[in-house]
Amino acid sequence: MSWALHRIDDRLIHGQVLVAWGARLDPARIWVVDDGVAASAWERDLFREAAPGIDVRVASVAEAATAHAAEASAPRAAFLLVRDLGTARKLGEAGAHVEEWNVGGLHYAPGKEKVNDYVYLDDQDREDAKALLSAGARLIVQDVPASRPQPLGALDPALAP
Amino acid sequence: MSAPLAGEGATPPTKRVPALIVTHADLADALVRAAERVVGSIEDVTLLSNEGLSRDDLQDAIEACVKDWKEGGLLLTDFWGGSCHTCGSAAARRHGEVVIVTGINLPLLLDYLHNRDRLSAPDLAERLQQKGRDSIRVQRGVPA
Repeated sequence: MSWALHRIDDRLIHGQVLVAWGARLDPARIWVVDDGVAASAWERDLFREAAPGIDVRVASVAEAATAHAAEASAPRAAFLLVRDLGTARKLGEAGAHVEEWNVGGLHYAPGKEKVNDYVYLDDQDREDAKALLSAGARLIVQDVPASRPQPLGALDPALAP
Repeated sequence: MSAPLAGEGATPPTKRVPALIVTHADLADALVRAAERVVGSIEDVTLLSNEGLSRDDLQDAIEACVKDWKEGGLLLTDFWGGSCHTCGSAAARRHGEVVIVTGINLPLLLDYLHNRDRLSAPDLAERLQQKGRDSIRVQRGVPA
């Protein structure tokens, strides 16, 4: 069981993750993989308290890469959340094998171009996406279970196969 | 806002506990419009939606609202663990006496409006938690 969702979402833990994906996949653990959050005591506490009844583990990319294979065979479901494509890429390069990433929310920021209502990309994002794709990962855009999953390459011409 | 309730008129308006309501979509706006149907026009309540905002942008928007609260205030959000709550928590941490109440509903909002001129932010938050919970009731055996 274990890994039920690997998600790229700049909101990390939030309603869509807890309520929509959580209700469908019933995670026992949520890994928040982010070097910035892992380095900040109050941000670690913020996310650990965000999901009552779920074991929230805040980890750096290096820590998560080390623990990733063991978690894959742990009982019950687990989610892994990163805030951007760059972190997903680093996690893969550090040794974690992720076959599919759910692209759930990369919101607007200056310099980013709209891909759909909840995905905006800049050149660096596209470079990271290409690296993930060429390493064999699938990038599937889907904010909530009820919406239609689409490959990122089908939505963004710059990433078309 | 309608006329103050009996016994509440003596508190100077400067002591009013301000509120920022942060929710998904346009729930905050709809809640306030619904409350206005009950009590009349409402002032000193700020509304914010998380629609389309990244974590950083939502946090900045919340902080811009709460930073001027000299004597504290309430952040009312829709549910625990949502971005409105966690970004609110992050934004409020540098501003003392900002208290967060999650799970806003219409009875809770109305109770805030009725008591914001007489209670401190922490006391009001405790009261609203109880009022919000008490407002959820189940009626069985409804007559046909």
